[in-house]
Amino acid sequence: MEQLESHPATEQQGHLVVERTGAGWRVLFADPSARKLTCLEPGAPADWADLSLRQLDLDRQPLDESHQLWQIGKSADKQAFLQANAALEAALRSAEEANQAKSRFLSSMSHDIRTPMNAIVGMTAIGLSHIDEKARVQDCLSKIQTASSHLMSLVNDVLDMSRIDSGRMTLHEERFSLADLIHDVAVILRPQAAQKQQTLRVEIGDILEEHLLGDPLRLRQILVNIIGNAIKYTQAGGEIQTSFAQRPAQAQRGGASVLLDFSCQDNGIGMSQAFLQRIFLPFERVNNTTISRIEGTGLGMSIVKKLVDSMSGEISVQSQEGQGSLFQVSIPLPVSPQTQNALALPTGGTILVAESWEDRAEKIHQYLTEADLRPVTLPSGMDAVTWLTEAQYENRMPLALLLGQELTDMPTLNLASHVRQLAGQAFPILLASEADWVQLEYRATRAGINAFVPCPLFRSRLLKTLSDLTGGSNGQTGGQSGEIDYSGYRVLLVEDNELNQEIAMELLEMTGVQVETAGDGLQAAEKFEASPPGYYDLIFMDIQMPVMDGYQATRRIRQLAREDAKTVWIVAMTANAFVEDMRLSQEAGMNEHLSKPVDIDRLNEILRGRLGAAPQPGKQ
Amino acid sequence: MQTYQEEYLHNLEELYALSRRKPLDGRTPEAYFAALAQDQARTETLILRNMDLLRSQLFPLLDDLFHAGREDLDHLFQFASRLLVPGKELDPGLFCQIHRALLSLARQKQDRSAMIRELYWLGIGRNSLYGRLVGLDFSLTEKYVNRMRLCFTEAAAYLKYFDELSDDETRGYILRSRANMSLGTFKHPREKIHMVKTTQEILNDQEYQKKAPALPWDRYIYMTHQQMAASISYAKDHDMTPEDVEAVMESSYIVFQRRLHEAEANRQRLSNRWALPYHTTEFYCGVLTLDQLLHQLEALMDHADLSDYSPDSCYTVISMPAFYCQYLQHYPDRIAGRETYLDSLYRRILRYVEAFPKDLEGDVLFRYLCQLSHTFIEIANGLLYRDFLLKLLVRFVPQLYIHAAKVAWAAKAFCQLILSHEPDFFDDIPEFQVMPENAEKQQAILDYAAGCGLFHDIGEVNMLELFAHIGRQWMAEEEQVAQMHTDAGKNLLAPRASTSRYADAALGHHAWYDGLRGYPAAYQRLECPSRQMVDVIGLVDWLENLTGSAWLYTGESMTFDQAINAAIELEGKRFSPLLTAWLREGGAECIQSAFEQGLQAARRRLYEDSLRSLDAALP
Repeated sequence: MEQLESHPATEQQGHLVVERTGAGWRVLFADPSARKLTCLEPGAPADWADLSLRQLDLDRQPLDESHQLWQIGKSADKQAFLQANAALEAALRSAEEANQAKSRFLSSMSHDIRTPMNAIVGMTAIGLSHIDEKARVQDCLSKIQTASSHLMSLVNDVLDMSRIDSGRMTLHEERFSLADLIHDVAVILRPQAAQKQQTLRVEIGDILEEHLLGDPLRLRQILVNIIGNAIKYTQAGGEIQTSFAQRPAQAQRGGASVLLDFSCQDNGIGMSQAFLQRIFLPFERVNNTTISRIEGTGLGMSIVKKLVDSMSGEISVQSQEGQGSLFQVSIPLPVSPQTQNALALPTGGTILVAESWEDRAEKIHQYLTEADLRPVTLPSGMDAVTWLTEAQYENRMPLALLLGQELTDMPTLNLASHVRQLAGQAFPILLASEADWVQLEYRATRAGINAFVPCPLFRSRLLKTLSDLTGGSNGQTGGQSGEIDYSGYRVLLVEDNELNQEIAMELLEMTGVQVETAGDGLQAAEKFEASPPGYYDLIFMDIQMPVMDGYQATRRIRQLAREDAKTVWIVAMTANAFVEDMRLSQEAGMNEHLSKPVDIDRLNEILRGRLGAAPQPGKQ
Repeated sequence: MQTYQEEYLHNLEELYALSRRKPLDGRTPEAYFAALAQDQARTETLILRNMDLLRSQLFPLLDDLFHAGREDLDHLFQFASRLLVPGKELDPGLFCQIHRALLSLARQKQDRSAMIRELYWLGIGRNSLYGRLVGLDFSLTEKYVNRMRLCFTEAAAYLKYFDELSDDETRGYILRSRANMSLGTFKHPREKIHMVKTTQEILNDQEYQKKAPALPWDRYIYMTHQQMAASISYAKDHDMTPEDVEAVMESSYIVFQRRLHEAEANRQRLSNRWALPYHTTEFYCGVLTLDQLLHQLEALMDHADLSDYSPDSCYTVISMPAFYCQYLQHYPDRIAGRETYLDSLYRRILRYVEAFPKDLEGDVLFRYLCQLSHTFIEIANGLLYRDFLLKLLVRFVPQLYIHAAKVAWAAKAFCQLILSHEPDFFDDIPEFQVMPENAEKQQAILDYAAGCGLFHDIGEVNMLELFAHIGRQWMAEEEQVAQMHTDAGKNLLAPRASTSRYADAALGHHAWYDGLRGYPAAYQRLECPSRQMVDVIGLVDWLENLTGSAWLYTGESMTFDQAINAAIELEGKRFSPLLTAWLREGGAECIQSAFEQGLQAARRRLYEDSLRSLDAALP
């Protein structure tokens, strides 16, 4: 290269001498200004790849067969060249950064993919080597399941990003319920927050319209990503506060619209200002030694940004390292045209609300008052029992008891059990809770809860449930307004004692259920045998009876060769209260045990548990 | 009362006596063992008879309670009241069962006075039934406390209609219910103080008093002062307001003065039972420093007359040290320098208990020792907690000790069989993992198995009414409460060095291998490093319960062969397949023979202990 240091032709500004190299040209000499303009060094390829030379007006003069003198054009061209060069340099840097991010992504992805894969491979091996130990295998399978679903989410993120990047992702528009959407998000994320002992609050501000048009799946993806990140990047025991509200927005396509405002604030590790600039770039993750074990592709926020953009929404984030982050999202959504069902709620009816969370109590109070109901809010279980006892004495029972999330002195279900005894079977008790109903249902229905209103609390859900339960009567009549109607169901009452039979029949018929009777076990078995399949929904079976006792009758029914013989719910009715008696009932094939004297509340508890809190009349 | 009710009560009394340690009465060991076996047979007969009485007489009455006659109902009420006499709570579970039925009847008939009365008595019964759940986390007991409290709350709500309910008996129930709302533990301790304060305001209201002058208002008021004075122990977190302090001080003063006057009138010394809360209140309210309080307690304990077996002396010798240790536990920096004192205190207590005359022995002595077992402080080179617990078992709960010894022997023998083929079987347990494979390691594992066996059911000492003293089979609610012996056992064993390694066995021995059933929720098998040993204890305990005497309250009984087959059928569900495999390979025979050896060893120990006690009682 040393012989290329000088050439007479290149003493002039903007000149360079090039040499033919097969299909292209190689720089032999270049004056300093040409080098600066073109970024070419002697020896560099001069035409085939160098984009900057293509931008220039080149005057090419042959020197001999294999050499040419190239002269760079006018100064105006030079200026354009300089600009183009700068832009290219920026593009190059950007491409390099993107490349580095992709490299980091590939490196972290290979780690992230390998981690769950290792778990899957390892746990499979452990499981196979302990194949006889059910509990161990079960443990392995559950870990494999966790690792697999994590792996699946990694792959899904990558696919989503690829779809968005390639413009293949389209948004659907369908009618959806904001209440359902937020509830689903809460159900998905609450367990994760609970696992880290974090407080996850979901506040509902002013909601103008609950039924909207949009893509609920993608909206859910946005919310789950943002709140999920907050959970991920907040230490155990931390707090995450989310809120939803609406503002009127410009009408879209001739229909009303609202702006859905969502915010999510945490007190987690936060982000540096430098990272905040890159947060919506793909493959970026907060780099912090305290969270090195946090898994993810780094695509989530990028996907969120692109989804929000595609919905014509806005997203912003504020954060401070060590203090937490605040994400705010606003998305315009058209309001769904809907037919409003009139709620049958009696004006001025009293609802006793047992709730110690002030915010929740206020919200309930607001919703009930707006519906022309009269809420009485008490923070403790003991206050509620005192109030109800007085109300019962003075014959001014409320329409219903609405149990909230928390009481100052006891769990809400403890109160429910007692109120069910105190106020009787017909008195409606609702539970408004953030808990997952599937997890809670068994305990709650046994405690006497008639209906569940999921939280975050929405006006429509609360009032609809109240309306369904109270049936629109004007209340204040000892709770009779909430009487449950099981007229679509049929019960076989097996009891030899006439008086007991009469009392039980009376109690059962109060609920509307159709009651047929049998005087002993043999009659019961024969009646069941003679009935068409699915005819009886429930059998109440006395134990001590002449001719054939309840145990034998149950065994005989269970042995019948028809499908409902195995599934029909049989309840033992006996004063025999020893654990052995319950075991004997179970061994005979009975499902439940009802102590005598028959307690009306327990009887209804069983009806509610089996026939449901919201019966479906018409089943024959 | 009806004849069957009288008989049932009589049987309970006899059963209670039989559950106590058998006196030697000059018997040879063989005669002593035969007498123990005879007592066991008699126990079984009486329990079966009681079951029969309830099944044939009481349950049909409850079955048909809606048209029971007035006389039947009165007898039932009287019978129930005899089941729960203060100081002699023979059968709180049945008491609750009867009053629950009577409450249902009252609600059905809308008989308000009967409802108030039954709510009160059901609350009292539940207080007795759940009062055994001491030392357990509030999260576990909260449900039961609330059940009890809400009964009183509902009855007390009728206070608003005091004028309308004209009979004094019902008014009395309302007022007593109001006062009893403050029984039991509270979520927030200050609530109790405020609740008692409100009750005091009601009881001191002249308007109420004028309406029912015949009621013993002074007694009611005095009892709320006792409640208030007792609530001082809740103020450990020093979150009392000046008004709370004033209220507690006032109540303590009233209680103290009244007891002092009573003592002076009877020319007696003031019982330490009343001196302790007074000094404690002074401490919590800032009149005494902690050191002054501790010195005062030491002085009172040191001056106790060890030859006096009166309830008051018994309180000073045993219960007061329990409170003393509780303070030391809360302020552990005060333990330093008191090690020798503590050790001599415990040894003094044991000598006192050894020498306690059989004819004076009652529930009180055992209750005080249970209190001590909750606050016992283990000191290096001092009396070990495990030795203390063993003495408690042997001396007061022989049936429980026999069961524990049988499980210990069988667990040890079963482990020995496993180790002879698989020396590393228990290597998941960290302390054994690091030991070289040799005889020393094997012995360490066998000792561990024996310890786990001996202490796995120690939580039952909290609830003897449901185990050793039960006079019939459990009812559903009792079974639920009884299940908490696992958490109770763990809470006793875990905090102390000599017993902490047995805590997992106490907690997890009723858990199922597959985790789908069993209890308690707090035991997570796969997270427990000692799970292989817990599995062993769970299996052996299950076999002993089915073939021993636990069937009397669980209702499940099998021959040994049937139990082994049932265990094998539960392979992979209730029991680890690794263990059931060993049952097929000689483990069953080895366990059966160890049960017998354990029984004999336990009987010998009971005999020796009775002998030693006899020596201690000699002048």
